[in-house]
Amino acid sequence: MDILPDRVPWYIVGPLMGLTVVALFAIANRPLGATTAYRESFRAATLRRVNEAWRVWLFVGMAAGALLVSLLRGGPSLTLSYGLLGTLVPVGLLIPILFGAGLAMGFGARWSGGCTSGHGIRGMSALSPASIAATMTFMAVAVSLTFLLHIVTGGSL
Amino acid sequence: MNRVSFLAGLAFGFLVAAARLNDYNVIHDMLLLREPDVFLMMASAIGVAAPILAYMQKKHWRTMDGEINLRRQPISRKNVTGAAIFGAGWAVAGSCPVPALAMTVGGSVLGAFVMAGLVSGIVLRDAVEARSLQPLLRRFRASSEVEPEAAGAQG
Repeated sequence: MDILPDRVPWYIVGPLMGLTVVALFAIANRPLGATTAYRESFRAATLRRVNEAWRVWLFVGMAAGALLVSLLRGGPSLTLSYGLLGTLVPVGLLIPILFGAGLAMGFGARWSGGCTSGHGIRGMSALSPASIAATMTFMAVAVSLTFLLHIVTGGSL
Repeated sequence: MNRVSFLAGLAFGFLVAAARLNDYNVIHDMLLLREPDVFLMMASAIGVAAPILAYMQKKHWRTMDGEINLRRQPISRKNVTGAAIFGAGWAVAGSCPVPALAMTVGGSVLGAFVMAGLVSGIVLRDAVEARSLQPLLRRFRASSEVEPEAAGAQG
């Protein structure tokens, strides 16, 4: 049985996300961000020295939160679908494309010092100049490239 | 500390999945400027958090780990260069780190490949950074070894 609506509206999710960022700062004095959480969790999973254990707990919490939503929507189900992109590109080709896109995101976010959550929400909320510049850049590049893909694929994507 | 970060992660992961940010089509439509929802979500998150954080900083808010530190950073070239590469990956995958995790947790096999790429990219960047620091470290070590002799000669 689906308990949650199909998509919780932005005016509920957005302010609650903002309050989550505030809570982590106000209580623990820690910045919410996913890239370093990935890094530290990978180090923990490969039994290497973890510099900041709280980031591993942040990552575990994120996974648990997403799992909870999945359970409220009828439970996780194994799937090979990938939205519109999955209908246009065969799975065999999609795997290296998505791995490459992930690689670019991981490399870029680590270089830039944050991603959509670390720069786009947390850093912007803190009015950090570095995060404002990074967010404007990745937004501009992502929108431009998406439009380019849309044109190149004749409007299919 | 760990409990607080777990709970913050729990809330954040829940909200990302509840808003369907782990759906390729939602991010793709956002980046094609077809619907404003994700932009409005980000703007409202910032709109709520920014004044509260600014107030807390002004009041020297005490946390369980000292006075609040918002970690404002000046702009450097790496912020922009890295963000451009990140943006390219984001446009192709229609997903970013937390949504990719939420995808995978929900059973998406392809989401797991995005996550594998993310981790590989992070490891690769760390390796590049460690390598680019090597000449500097070598120079530092060399100069600190030479220093006593130089000081002696001057003395």
